[in-house]
Amino acid sequence: MANYFNSLTLREQLAQLGKCEFMDPSEFADEANYLKGKKLVIVGCGSQGLNQGLNLRDSGLDVSYTLRQSAIDEKRDSWKNATENGFTVGTYDELVPTADVVLNLTPDKQHTAVVTEIMPLMKKDSCLAYSHGFNIVEEGMQIREDITVIMVAPKCPGSEVREEYKRGFGVPTLIAVHENNDPRGEGLAIAKAYAAGTGGHRAGVLLSSFVAEVKSDLMGEQTILCGMLQTGSLLCYDKMIEKGIDAGYASKLVQYGWETVTEALKHGGVTNMMDRLSNPAKIRAFELAEELKDIMRPLYEKHMDDIMTGAFSSGMMEDWADDDKKLLGWRDETSGTAFETQENTSDEIAEQEYFDHGILMVAMVKAGVELAYEVMTASGIKEESAYYESLHETPLIANTIARKKLFEMNRTISDTAEYGCYLFNHACFPLLQDFMKKQDADVIGRGMGLNDNSVDNQRLIEVNADIRSHSVEAIGTTLRGYMGAMKRIV
Amino acid sequence: MITFRHAEIKLSETFSLSQISWQINDGQCWAITGPNGSGKSALVAALAGEGELRSGQRDLGEANVAVVSLEEQSRLIARERQRDDSDLTDEINEGTPVQEMLDETCQDFELQKRLIDDLGLQPLLERGFRKLSTGETRKVLLTRALTSKPQVLVLDEPFEGLDVATVPRVAALLEDIAGSTTLIMSLNRLDEMPDCTTHAMRLESGAMSQQFECSDGGQAARLLGQISQIRSDIQLPPPETDIEVPLNADGTLVALNKARVAYTDNLVFENLDWHIKPGDHWQVKGPNGSGKTCLLNLITGDHPQCYVNDISLFGFKRGQGESIWQIKQYLGFVSTGLHWDYRLSVSVRNVIVSGFHDSIGLYQKATDKEKALADAWLELLGLSDRATDSFSSLSYGEQRVVLIARAMVKHPPVLLLDEPCLGLDEANRQLVLSLTDRICEEGATTLIYVTHHDEDKIHAIGNVLDLGNR
Repeated sequence: MANYFNSLTLREQLAQLGKCEFMDPSEFADEANYLKGKKLVIVGCGSQGLNQGLNLRDSGLDVSYTLRQSAIDEKRDSWKNATENGFTVGTYDELVPTADVVLNLTPDKQHTAVVTEIMPLMKKDSCLAYSHGFNIVEEGMQIREDITVIMVAPKCPGSEVREEYKRGFGVPTLIAVHENNDPRGEGLAIAKAYAAGTGGHRAGVLLSSFVAEVKSDLMGEQTILCGMLQTGSLLCYDKMIEKGIDAGYASKLVQYGWETVTEALKHGGVTNMMDRLSNPAKIRAFELAEELKDIMRPLYEKHMDDIMTGAFSSGMMEDWADDDKKLLGWRDETSGTAFETQENTSDEIAEQEYFDHGILMVAMVKAGVELAYEVMTASGIKEESAYYESLHETPLIANTIARKKLFEMNRTISDTAEYGCYLFNHACFPLLQDFMKKQDADVIGRGMGLNDNSVDNQRLIEVNADIRSHSVEAIGTTLRGYMGAMKRIV
Repeated sequence: MITFRHAEIKLSETFSLSQISWQINDGQCWAITGPNGSGKSALVAALAGEGELRSGQRDLGEANVAVVSLEEQSRLIARERQRDDSDLTDEINEGTPVQEMLDETCQDFELQKRLIDDLGLQPLLERGFRKLSTGETRKVLLTRALTSKPQVLVLDEPFEGLDVATVPRVAALLEDIAGSTTLIMSLNRLDEMPDCTTHAMRLESGAMSQQFECSDGGQAARLLGQISQIRSDIQLPPPETDIEVPLNADGTLVALNKARVAYTDNLVFENLDWHIKPGDHWQVKGPNGSGKTCLLNLITGDHPQCYVNDISLFGFKRGQGESIWQIKQYLGFVSTGLHWDYRLSVSVRNVIVSGFHDSIGLYQKATDKEKALADAWLELLGLSDRATDSFSSLSYGEQRVVLIARAMVKHPPVLLLDEPCLGLDEANRQLVLSLTDRICEEGATTLIYVTHHDEDKIHAIGNVLDLGNR
């Protein structure tokens, strides 16, 4: 299989990379009707699979689950989940041939095996839906010509997809049609109906492409989302230990700090995250972030370039073929780091203290989000895609670190993200050594401890203007506003 | 010994206890009563050390205190949600099994064994804590508290949600430990005051209005007693529009044929036929875990197994392409599950307006007419001054009456009330019963009503479905 993106002309590449538009709610007036009476069969009954299926069924659609024979025979959890929720469950042989739409909601890494197995069973002129495009774009999976291929990707975890639906709302959702596989021109109609069936149309739908989704997703996850947080965790922890901060405190500050500061990011972008700092701390964080951006820009650009040329995915697939040797080695290395093995203090850390004592962490988040966004948009990716794959997702990943540190983050993200994360960390950790030598506990661990919070007016105005005028803030305000217009009325 | 002296304790931005002077000696048994919103749960929280002491003194001593309350329940459920990593691993997680929940706090495994037998917990031990019914959850919390061998046991509404058979068993357990354990209970229903009660107090607006020693629960109830009158003067605000409800071909609103709910390891019920005609009001009863809530959720569509049952309602046969919102437009619904799901920051008025849209939270602007109707309901509830406050700032009982108004606001063709009076004080209980009587009399609404309390009678009810005895 050859890389799909590399088979396109430059013109086609740019057109697909640059596709991402917010759809008008009026386009969903028909709700899920296009799929009424059609048979939807879901492969995979994990959190996304189960919760999307529950929503689609509550929207009046005919949903069943297909599992491997062994999962059914052994009554595995996936079988139990589907059965207890009153769904028909059958083997690939039994259900796939009856399906008008097959929803592939298995993990990325299984896609080639699963799709290869089900494709011959799929009926003529049916549809295959993905929630990620890696298999199509990077692995170059060829789908039979008569089959329509679409993507529907809710931008939130499965349980939230369900909760919001039950409330009468939904979560923001990205949809796409694979241009090579839209033989009857109905791909968009199916994707829209599927998105409406999960409730996504109530919270806003973005129409994008397989290519834009994959390239921006890979870039986001290996740089700001996972890579930056991993490198940042290790550097910040080691610095605090070096400066004599209590190890239990240092561990806790880092573990929960990412979640706390990015919660502010989620609500009001980089501006709001920075506004949580005192004025002197804000100026300090701004300056640190500027310096970090200068140092790390070539690395972010290298990651983007390797993703665009396909060098990243071919390197990773070589490791897959080599029994994940590199991946497993790196995973071991992470589990043994000082940060990972340190117990937390039981003392409470107040919410504001995570900002005041975590100035460097705030700076790292700002630098990482802006760099990932800048490099993506400079490479032909639309602002909307770049926003979702950088700023929007950061709090979701930070949440995994808050649960069980880096090991948990790496266990729960996809293997693709994990591989990219280690790759980034290996380059970024040494790259920031000189920068870290200059830092002291005032920016990480102890706070600036100033008696006087006065700042120079002109400098503050400059810094605020710079933070607020960044393009990620403009698009973020617009996108959060779209959601806001339809959001809960308090 | 626990002592409060002229204590003022701030529990939240909007609620403080004031002038609390209270001494609890070892072995006493206290009953706390008072209207919804008077501060009963706040006082329980203050006993657990929560809140900020603004003035006076609070000395909680060194005693080992165990608490059973809705807050404790919420905390444990929130913990279960936090532990649930289904979204991260993409593998669905059943949650902590009951046995593990019981062992977590247990100091006395002999007693645990006895309580498991007494309260009938044996069949639940392997089940996930989050999957239990309201009454079952209560039993688990009680067992946890009792087996932790506390010196002080604080029970917020100890009998709430328990079935008829269990109430006397729990009362007997409390009698057993009274004297050796200090007991502090908050109670809405004076007739449930246990015999071992030695002291009682009444709260009003966050302060103590009455405090005395008594010989037993009966005397305390008499001294505190203030029986409200059934209000016959109530006028319900009109619906926003009259709802035309389609009937099934056989003239029923709802028809269940051979209904069955089962999990891999547990059959809840089977072979249940139930046909509901317009104007035939029903009461559903049965012991904890007999499937009352399951049954109602089959009708509301909140139970996923509604799709594998033969259910027709409002002219739709379930699973034939109708959406859940086409069903919900004809329903009004209150249950503990809904109450738990409604943990959003929304104004009190908008909670009532959301009843017009069958949503949890509000996602479109309320019309002037909707607002006016919501305000008329708030006036009836005596909560007009709270219209723009956040729903979460209300006490549990106040939230409950607001949710009941939300369920009634559109005068739904079918109104399902699953233990509506849970957590309500005497006055609110009478109000809700009066409202329910009235909506039944009006004729457009058919009621399905679940309660454990025979005294919470709805006059229009002519049919009883007893899941414990079919």
